[in-house]
Amino acid sequence: MSKFQSKLNRQGSKVVVQLGGVIDEDADFTTLSIQDAQEVHIDMDEIKSINSCGIREWIKWIGTSGNSKIVYSKCPKVIVDQMNMVDGFLPSVATVESFYVPYYNEESGSEKNVLFRYGVEYKDGQVQYPTAVKDESGKPMEMDIIENKYFKFIKSKA
Amino acid sequence: MLTLIPAVALLIYLTIALQVFKDDKVAYVFDTTSQISVSIAGQLKTKLDNILKLTQPILMDLSQTEDFSRISRAFLQFDSHLQSMAVMVWNDKAQNYEVGPVLEKSAYTFEKFWLTWRTQWNPSLVQVFMNQTVVTNPFLDSRFVIVQKVDRPNSRPYLVILLFDLTEFTEQFETLSAQSFYLIEKNGKILLGPKKDLGQNLRDQIPLSFLRLNQQVAGSGVEKLSDQKGAAKLASYASVGWGDLYVVSTVLESKALAAMNVLKRKSILFFVILLATTTILSLLASSSVTQSLTQLFEATGQVSKGQFDVQVDVQSQDEVGALAANFNRMASEVSRLMGQTAETARMENELQTARMVQETLFPAPHAILGPVEVVGFYEPASEVGGDWWSYTQVGQSVYFWIGDATGHGAGAALITSAAKSAAGLIEGLGFTPSQALSALNRSIYDVSRGKIMMTFFLGKLDLKTFQMSYSNASHEAPFLFRHKEEGQPYKKKDIEFLNEVNNPRLGQARDSIYKEVSVQLGLGDLIFFYTDGVPDIRDKKNQDWGEREFIKNLILAVNSSPSPTEVMAAISENIQAYRQGAPLADDLTFFIVKTKENVMNEGKKNEQVSI
Repeated sequence: MSKFQSKLNRQGSKVVVQLGGVIDEDADFTTLSIQDAQEVHIDMDEIKSINSCGIREWIKWIGTSGNSKIVYSKCPKVIVDQMNMVDGFLPSVATVESFYVPYYNEESGSEKNVLFRYGVEYKDGQVQYPTAVKDESGKPMEMDIIENKYFKFIKSKA
Repeated sequence: MLTLIPAVALLIYLTIALQVFKDDKVAYVFDTTSQISVSIAGQLKTKLDNILKLTQPILMDLSQTEDFSRISRAFLQFDSHLQSMAVMVWNDKAQNYEVGPVLEKSAYTFEKFWLTWRTQWNPSLVQVFMNQTVVTNPFLDSRFVIVQKVDRPNSRPYLVILLFDLTEFTEQFETLSAQSFYLIEKNGKILLGPKKDLGQNLRDQIPLSFLRLNQQVAGSGVEKLSDQKGAAKLASYASVGWGDLYVVSTVLESKALAAMNVLKRKSILFFVILLATTTILSLLASSSVTQSLTQLFEATGQVSKGQFDVQVDVQSQDEVGALAANFNRMASEVSRLMGQTAETARMENELQTARMVQETLFPAPHAILGPVEVVGFYEPASEVGGDWWSYTQVGQSVYFWIGDATGHGAGAALITSAAKSAAGLIEGLGFTPSQALSALNRSIYDVSRGKIMMTFFLGKLDLKTFQMSYSNASHEAPFLFRHKEEGQPYKKKDIEFLNEVNNPRLGQARDSIYKEVSVQLGLGDLIFFYTDGVPDIRDKKNQDWGEREFIKNLILAVNSSPSPTEVMAAISENIQAYRQGAPLADDLTFFIVKTKENVMNEGKKNEQVSI
């Protein structure tokens, strides 16, 4: 299991945070100061997993941003699941710029994560599904999620 | 033994070395004293020869004038040693030799001498007439006398007496030193030498072989002998070559070898000290090693008897010390591990006890509550877990609880215990789900102070109306499988999620607000409650089961039988098949609630069945 990785880049009043690895009880968010930022952009592309202790640390950390504008981007499924399930994981002031939707082909077993982007694949509680998602061999793939559950956060933000 | 061998070797070496040194020293002393004796004898011979040569012209003058002329007197003055010279002339009338012409440096020199010696010289005449020159010091002082026969034609020969002084030789013989020098006659009489020995016979002091055997020795020699007191002496002798005079040198062997004896004593003393020191050090070292090994032996004996907290006190810096240090570390480590093992065993016992206590917090895994059948499963990831599920019928309502504390293990288990206690009280108050979670949230927050939280789902089912109100504190939303007629299998899209409301986790903040919603159930509906440990099970390769497989297997299980017990069994089998004995990553909890499929069972009594 890869350890928690983090990187913070200040761009004026905007803070860009890149997170990766495993978010658990050992994840140290104290070095990621976001309390003075007007906008916090969190890139979650490299996050592998998160457990209940990691969720506790996340909510404590994200709570330090106050009323800052928060943008989540490239959220993997493990994060989307928490956004849907854990109250406060996706604060009311936060928006999701993009997130991944897992697709698979049951016959070949191929898997793929398709990035859904705000304004393109979803907007205002509505999801515009891609017309066709195919694997590398051209076989059609279907969503590997339960839509009512997975896209719930979109509707709650509508 | 290790000390004795080098000691004996050293002793032998010392003995041989000292003997060689002694022999060499004796040889050196012999050589030196012999050289001195020869040298003194040579000096004396030269001196006597010179005196005799000096008298030749005087004697020639005497033969012509039968008296000493002025020339003779001049010659006498020329030599510093010769004091006087007298001619003894035969007196027919007296039939004796009488003093004839006298030549002397100082008046009355000879006369004084003669007055004393005239009664002693006769014995010398025998040797004189045997054509031997007699040399002696009749008064045992520096005055020496030579008596020589001078033949005359038709007359009795003259006897010439030469009186001369050899003070420098006398001093040389009288000088006291380690060596004693003697000028002796062949019969052993000491003419010159230490004053106490003058006139005595050297034969009485030391048994020189040539004196003892009365042999004439022409050259020189050395002898090792003992004096009359038994003291060993080294003697050397040399013939003067004049008359029967000999120069003898003696030295006590103890004095000659004094330096060697000092060396010998010091060597022996050094040897003894060295031997004693070596022996003491060896004994100390041996004692130290033996003592150390004895300690180690006794310590290992104690360890073999199970006493691991033993330490040996060995301070040496050698291999034994290193061995002892390693033993101490080993014993300490074993003792620590034994203690750790005991502590682990104690903790395991306590955890087993805690597990048994925690198991009492869970309800019977199978129950029929009027028109509702409940069947559940729980397995903690360790001895105790942080999951909890329960059901309780209160009047016409049944509460369904399922929660998951942050993490798992003892801390999480304690929170679930607190939650169970609070839930028991809350149920009795008839609270709605939102009220119940609000109250439970405050309880958990007060207990954990935000360090441990719980996700929770609480449903309250009305057994008459089948309406279930529920509130969710960020827990996994239960799956609702609406009743389908036989032959119509469930698909993924058929699953409804009880996720219409979501609230903060319990314990996150004391004043959190919890909302609830209601869902209308029908006959034959099935609800699957679970914690996130279910999709998180792993196989031996540490691969997650995942949501897709989890839901897929769940649908298969639900389709396999209308009986919740059989559905439960199918799910459990699928889970165990996937795990293949792999340990759980998280606590595993799920339960099924199914309403009756027809009114035939409406009157069935509530019962709990153990499986």
